[in-house]
Amino acid sequence: MGGVEEHIFNLSQCLISRGYKVIVLTHSYGERVGVRYMTNGLKVFYLPVKVFYNQCVLPTMVCSLPLIRYILIRERITIIHGHSAFSALAHEAMVIGKLMGLKTVFTDHSLFGFADASAIVTNKLLQMSLADCNHCICVSHTGKENTVLRARVHCDRVSVIPNAVDTAAFTPDPSRRSTDTITIVVISRLVYRKGVDLMAQVIAEICPRYPQLHFLIGGDGPKRWLLEEVRERCGLQDRVTLLGSLEHSQVRSVLTRGHIFLNTSLTEAYCMAIVEAAACGLQVVSTKVGGIPEVLPSDLIYLTEPNVPSLLLGLETALANLRSGNVVPPLECHRRVASLYNWMDVARRTEAVYHRVAGEKSKTLGSQLRSYMASGVLPFLLIISLAHLMLRFLDWMVPQQNIDIAKDYNITSHITDLHHSNGEVHSQTYRDRRKLSWYEPALSKQQMNYKRVF
Amino acid sequence: MIQRQRMWKKNLYENIDYPDNYTDKTFLDELKKNVHITEISPLTAVFGAGLVTQEMCVVVFFVIVYVYLYNGWIEPETVFVQSSLVAAVAHLTYRTLLTKNNYYEVMVKDLRTVLIFVVFGYVLSPILKTLTDTISTDTIYAMTTFMMIIHLIFFDYGVPAAIVSSSLSLNAAIFGSVCLASRLSSPFHAFVLLSNAVECFVLLPILLSKGRGSVTVLAAMITVAIYALWTVSLIMMFLFVCVTLFVTVLCPFWFLRWQNYKDNIYGPWDEAVVHDTQM
Repeated sequence: MGGVEEHIFNLSQCLISRGYKVIVLTHSYGERVGVRYMTNGLKVFYLPVKVFYNQCVLPTMVCSLPLIRYILIRERITIIHGHSAFSALAHEAMVIGKLMGLKTVFTDHSLFGFADASAIVTNKLLQMSLADCNHCICVSHTGKENTVLRARVHCDRVSVIPNAVDTAAFTPDPSRRSTDTITIVVISRLVYRKGVDLMAQVIAEICPRYPQLHFLIGGDGPKRWLLEEVRERCGLQDRVTLLGSLEHSQVRSVLTRGHIFLNTSLTEAYCMAIVEAAACGLQVVSTKVGGIPEVLPSDLIYLTEPNVPSLLLGLETALANLRSGNVVPPLECHRRVASLYNWMDVARRTEAVYHRVAGEKSKTLGSQLRSYMASGVLPFLLIISLAHLMLRFLDWMVPQQNIDIAKDYNITSHITDLHHSNGEVHSQTYRDRRKLSWYEPALSKQQMNYKRVF
Repeated sequence: MIQRQRMWKKNLYENIDYPDNYTDKTFLDELKKNVHITEISPLTAVFGAGLVTQEMCVVVFFVIVYVYLYNGWIEPETVFVQSSLVAAVAHLTYRTLLTKNNYYEVMVKDLRTVLIFVVFGYVLSPILKTLTDTISTDTIYAMTTFMMIIHLIFFDYGVPAAIVSSSLSLNAAIFGSVCLASRLSSPFHAFVLLSNAVECFVLLPILLSKGRGSVTVLAAMITVAIYALWTVSLIMMFLFVCVTLFVTVLCPFWFLRWQNYKDNIYGPWDEAVVHDTQM
């Protein structure tokens, strides 16, 4: 399960506990089509829409409109929260929602350049989509700067709310560490942008210098061959372990075996992996790219330039400090990370954004079109107009009063809050809650406690 | 006592006193614009465009040879002998200036290559002549025009751009010449035209690449091309002059003017570039 999916699932759970009704819309995953209930009644709609490339649906703007409209009315949604600049479904739903008079929030999880052709196209599409979005959320200040430039959104309409880590799931266990060797853990997808080329060179250069060093690499991807090649050529079969693809539930057990966590990303908006590693008490050595310098305090991370000499220096400094005992103890490390990042705090801050957008006036079609006109892509106005006409036609064909309102899923008559208020756990009834819809690329099969609704 | 608000810091864990949508005065401080921009002088721009004009002249030379052969204004033997002599002199000059050691060894190797080409070219010329025989003449001309345009677009002008493809450029030119060869009267005519194509599109660019940016070479080539076209068609000559002026004068002017609007954005969000990939 990816970082975006993790973000959505955890935040949904916290929002449910804070009295929101949350539904998630995503496309189908093979046989996985229809409605599923997950933990605490989180309702997930796997729309019968086929993906066409890289887990994205074809951005038709109008084909999914009747289905999305039906769900929004049936579930009494008031706020649409889109995730990821790459999610065509998120952008479609936000545009449709705006035409239906709903409020929209968008969270950007990625950083994008401005030079290559794909970036130029994506940035223009993002600018079109966010032209009439009520508010944006970014996961780092660098991400905010990037989004403001890419999508031409006013900086006051962009909030910075970081990701968090489930610190209960990522706890240190120093007893699992090897005493006679030093283990460097790497957990990432083995793709170019995660700096696998740098990682391979670092392994090739540092292993001969430190015979007691072992590498534990979790993750898979198209660049795996490079690490295998280095391992073969340098004769490091017994010192470099490639674990392959890992479930998110397995990550903690791998992290706790290590002393140092290495991250060689070439670009990163936030980097959940380094926070999880720090929560497990590892020393973190990471490239100083994107939003990474904003994430952890300087005594919990060794920041390096994205080149081999700098990474080697960072690792050697970490090794020297480890030998001399000049490191933050694992439990202290965990305690500090837990105080810095928790999902309840993220949910509270996200809720403040919802309150802000809920208070904004709904725009007329004319003012919406004027907003979209600012993007400079005039043909997009035709698509918006067509979507509006389709909605008007559907209002006549399938009036709102003819659509059954879905009953809220009641696990019990009330839900106990996950957070403490004034030192005591308080309850909140499940009725008359604010309605919220998430549009997102995916929720994985690994999520627990789901029931299928036939 | 009133507690002063802590100073905002660009991190995700210290700014609890500030709203999430707070924008500090340091916002976009790390933004850099036009970092890798190199100043281009008008002369450099004109010389750069001159390389395109130069290759256009080469295409014109080849087409002129075809027109002369097609209309019977020149004997194929004359073309073959004269072009061979020019190629031999040019090759000797090229080798004398560039080959420092193993001169004779290299010359023997080159001679062997030429012999192989001449023998195989002559033997296969009847096949090449009839290869596109059944296709109508207007289609052949349209295809040749299209191929020559592809040749000019993908030609290596010395700029490391993604669009550059020497193999595609050469293949397009040779394919265009094979198309034209089918319109000639005999296999020997076809052989001469294809020999000329090899000289124009394979050997001449190698020689011209050594004298890149030479005003004399460029001026001479444009003059010869204009004169050659004048002997064939005044309309074509006028069209060539217009295209030459457009490419050599107007395009560099636009390029220099549009350079002022260049707005490349760089910042901490950019993907880092891995330089040292050799292990």
